[in-house]
Amino acid sequence: MFKYIWFKEVKESLSTWKGMLWLFVSSLIFSFTSYLLLTDKELSLLDQTELLWLLSKVIIGVAILIVAIDASSIITSEFEKETAESLFITPLKLKDLLLGKLLASLTLWGQIYIVAVPYMVVTSMGSGLLWGFAGYVALLGSLGITAMVMVIFAISLLYRSSKNTLTTSLIILLALSIPAFFSSTLTNNPMAQFFGVVNPVDNIFSSLDNVLVDYHQSLLQNWNYLLPLLLFLIASAVFMFFAAKRFQKEGVIKND
Amino acid sequence: MTNAKLKLIILILGVAIMTLFSSPARASSQAVTASAPLTIQILSAQTLSGTAGDFVTVEGQLQNTSQIPVTDVTIYLSLVDLQNKLPVDLEDWSAEKGQYIGSVDPGQTLPLRWKIHFVKAGDYSIAIVADTGGNNMPLISTITHFQVSPKRNLNPGQVLPVAFGIPVLLLLLFAFLNYRQTIKHS
Repeated sequence: MFKYIWFKEVKESLSTWKGMLWLFVSSLIFSFTSYLLLTDKELSLLDQTELLWLLSKVIIGVAILIVAIDASSIITSEFEKETAESLFITPLKLKDLLLGKLLASLTLWGQIYIVAVPYMVVTSMGSGLLWGFAGYVALLGSLGITAMVMVIFAISLLYRSSKNTLTTSLIILLALSIPAFFSSTLTNNPMAQFFGVVNPVDNIFSSLDNVLVDYHQSLLQNWNYLLPLLLFLIASAVFMFFAAKRFQKEGVIKND
Repeated sequence: MTNAKLKLIILILGVAIMTLFSSPARASSQAVTASAPLTIQILSAQTLSGTAGDFVTVEGQLQNTSQIPVTDVTIYLSLVDLQNKLPVDLEDWSAEKGQYIGSVDPGQTLPLRWKIHFVKAGDYSIAIVADTGGNNMPLISTITHFQVSPKRNLNPGQVLPVAFGIPVLLLLLFAFLNYRQTIKHS
């Protein structure tokens, strides 16, 4: 049953301006960034490894933002369009709905990733880092985005409103991204270091730094960044599970 | 003891005390003078030119022409933007901004070498400066000029086909999907 929801969402997104506009906007951002970075590299201002690191951060950052905005409305729109009631009259279970919508959101991430591949190829030419670059962007992006989408789905089930879900999701995303803008002096602060260990966005960026700048490409060498990400993924799944339980208890029509 | 003899003794004692207390200062002053005979030369051409993004090597030589060792020698580059009349931060220009040499023995000659990246177009002057222990005056080499011409490359790393091609390709794909859907509905 989840496949029906998944294919329906993907088909809808591909046949509307909205769905394709995301991909077009992300391609424009990648074009601008890679052109700017390669021009800078030509002037020897930037090592190629740092260039790849910056581009990988842009790819994952743009993807998380777009998928988060899309995921904020993918469930709540069913309540706002009042299609949720008719949806649950069918033999569809909540877990099928959530799984179908989760796969639809991850498909959007997959589409953004496919758009990013030519940029990854052209910027990593001659560095020998293409596989590490493309592989870790896929792995870290998938882990981070899956976890983020599950958090957003949980918020959607609790709020049942696009506006509130979107606002909360963006605030969470902003809070997690702020340390990425900290200077090196601030990141040396013990409090910032602790926050960096538990922050999934920080772990994604640190792992990319480890792979692309420090050439530590094996999974074992990135385990200290992957483990917190996996724990965040599990915590997000647990949060979604509890939100789903509460949703089922309250019913489709909420009795306040 | 006559008054004149007393005055003479006081005068001799005064001179002796002054000599005693002033000797370290004199010795230090001699050391300052002695540490000065270091010569720094830039061996590269007086004018180096290239395009932004190029690398050049600035070679120099440090020589102790005195009879005593010169200690705590630190050398660094001084780069000045002649058009903007401003010193330039070497951050992007050279990985090695300064070098600590330590002690230079009498008559010793040391080679100096810096790899410089031409980062930005313009006219620049560069000199090697040396600080030595106990010397208030830095030593400086002659000046070499950099003439950096701008780099105009519209397609760095063959990125242009990708940077323009992908957004255009996506627009075409969307137009095709939209067209197919319109045909289907009609």
